[in-house]
Amino acid sequence: MKMDKQPTPLERFINGILPENPVYRQVLGMCPTLAVTNNLKGAMTMAGAVCFVLLCANVITSLIRDLLKPHLRIVVFTLTIATFVTIVDRFLAAYMYQMSKQLGPYVPLIIVNCIIICRCEVCASKQPVITAAADALGQSVGYAMALASIAFVREIMGTGMLFGFRVLPAVWPDWVIMILPPGAFLTLGLLMGLVNFVIMRLSSTNDKHAGGTA
Amino acid sequence: MNYLIDILLIAVSAALINNFVLYYFVGICPFIGVSRQIDMAVGMGLAVTFVMCIAAFLSWTVTTFILIPGALLSKLVAGFFVSPEAASKVDLTILSYIVYIFAIAASVQFVEMYVRRFFPALYKSFGVFLPLITTNCAILFACLTIMSHVAGVDNPADAWDLGRALTLAFFGGIGFTIAIVIMAGIREELDFCDIPQCMKGPAITLVVAGLLSMAFMGFTGVDSGLKKALKSRSVKNAALEMKIENYDVTSVPGTARAHMKNMIASKEHPCLS
Amino acid sequence: MNDSLNGKNSGKLRVKKNFMIQAWLVLFLSVFFGVSLAAVQLTLSPKIKANKLNETMKNVPGLLPGHYAPDALKISRRFLTAVSGGVKKSYSLFTAMSGKTLVGYVVKASGQGYSDSIDALIGLDASLSRITGVFILSQKETPGLGGKITDPEWRAQFIDKPTDRPLKVVKTGARASNEIDAITGATISSRSLCSIINQAVSDVKGILESNEKSSQQVTGVNENG
Repeated sequence: MKMDKQPTPLERFINGILPENPVYRQVLGMCPTLAVTNNLKGAMTMAGAVCFVLLCANVITSLIRDLLKPHLRIVVFTLTIATFVTIVDRFLAAYMYQMSKQLGPYVPLIIVNCIIICRCEVCASKQPVITAAADALGQSVGYAMALASIAFVREIMGTGMLFGFRVLPAVWPDWVIMILPPGAFLTLGLLMGLVNFVIMRLSSTNDKHAGGTA
Repeated sequence: MNYLIDILLIAVSAALINNFVLYYFVGICPFIGVSRQIDMAVGMGLAVTFVMCIAAFLSWTVTTFILIPGALLSKLVAGFFVSPEAASKVDLTILSYIVYIFAIAASVQFVEMYVRRFFPALYKSFGVFLPLITTNCAILFACLTIMSHVAGVDNPADAWDLGRALTLAFFGGIGFTIAIVIMAGIREELDFCDIPQCMKGPAITLVVAGLLSMAFMGFTGVDSGLKKALKSRSVKNAALEMKIENYDVTSVPGTARAHMKNMIASKEHPCLS
Repeated sequence: MNDSLNGKNSGKLRVKKNFMIQAWLVLFLSVFFGVSLAAVQLTLSPKIKANKLNETMKNVPGLLPGHYAPDALKISRRFLTAVSGGVKKSYSLFTAMSGKTLVGYVVKASGQGYSDSIDALIGLDASLSRITGVFILSQKETPGLGGKITDPEWRAQFIDKPTDRPLKVVKTGARASNEIDAITGATISSRSLCSIINQAVSDVKGILESNEKSSQQVTGVNENG
């Protein structure tokens, strides 16, 4: 049977950052993206947690990929992801208690985060461990960057602080709406529009060049 | 009577004030994906509500009777292996997330069978969205909220009973339905608008959701006002009697006693607020 | 014909083998994950409980009259239930003893704020006549407005307030001994906190002074903090 050319580990890694960015391109995992981007510290903690779970789930799924049959796939994915999320949640509660309280129920919600199930399904269940791990890392980096961009905007405009340190001068009237729910939706929507715009521009200049040389 | 007030407050809070979609950000994926037409949105909202109620029932039962330390079944089973003292300390809450996600998967299966049997046309129109309800954050969020009010309370006497849990689930689902139907109505109108290419799709939906969320912020404080109005009316007289006999006014010095009597009479006493 | 029959039989055998492998796989995974979760529970659970407890306990000494090193106090805790007109309200009461002398009490109370519930610790002196401090454990008020109830400077208003009269929130210029300045733009949050404090103080005073109402004694310290 002829196999299609599967993406290499490096390709998977780079894909995860912008072309297949989980938040801006695939529009997955919206729930924690909106909820924890009040401040940069929470956003980075969430990104770290997702990275751990994604990496472990991808590696384990890739190790057992030959033994998985279609009807059992979802059960195994769910069990794996739920276990690792429990581990991360307990770890945060033990060693970063305040952050765990701030993130609240959004850490367990990583279980139903579409990103992880999607990556397990699309990549880890079909490709060897190294590729799966590279894919996990790439997606995590992309996710972290997306979260950081949103949290940066929200925290600076909403409180004038970054990572808890006052950055803007006191004359800045804190736009409290930015750290409340509406601010989350608006920021993400507008940033998504911006990313779409940039990508459209890039692809249209590429087409122009290609069309010109053809 | 007080039980009904509590239920009413939980219902109003879950449906409007702390709306699952617009305040807690759960259930966004179907909110963006399925909200193109009103009838699809209504169907999705009601299906999610149904699944949420079943999942909440299952998770409350398992949490109360198996998972928390001192739960009935875990005490019974562990009682065969260790002393009763140790058996009542067996804490299985580490398994909660796994149990909840499988309870949700089971509920979705159940609802799928039900819908396929009794509403075949609806089942066909849902397509792949029905099994996807398993990954809907809103349902797991409802289960987690119930867990925090059962396993996470200081005083075991404060733990939620089944009625409160089901109220949260049902009205949380209703709130989700309200949000998704409003969004579907708006998007149907948006189809006729001239949106810039880069904003089409999820981007404009999120901006609209932001405006909706701002509108729903107007509900903040409704439950505290409601609580004050309902509770003061139902307990005013009882509190009056109770507190007067409790504040043994003979033991309080002269002017303070008169002052207190005045306060109770003019309803300024904090117990009456 | 024979070939297809053989093919069918070997196909059935393959399906059965697959089924066996699947079952073993799920079993193995469940055991593996179960063991790792049990290990996590055993190692991390005490730490988490300690965290939960410390969160309340580490704020208790700061709310009591006088200055004490945290180790110098013996703090015991019990649950109180105040019943009035069918409404049950639960409190956690922390009693602080230094040696044989009673230093004071700290009450953990919660109630409805503007947005969501507010959890607060209220310090009372040994005679229950003065409030010696207020600490906000958790609140979900509007950040920048109602959220300012956690501000230490604003909370310092509560220190040395008498408990014979309920506290009242005024918008500007608190003068009388039972008046509190509201936070600008957050009158409802300020009022909610005051009413939580008033209710808690009056309930606890009523219970401790009469000792007749229903109260549950829990010796030692509860796991959940």
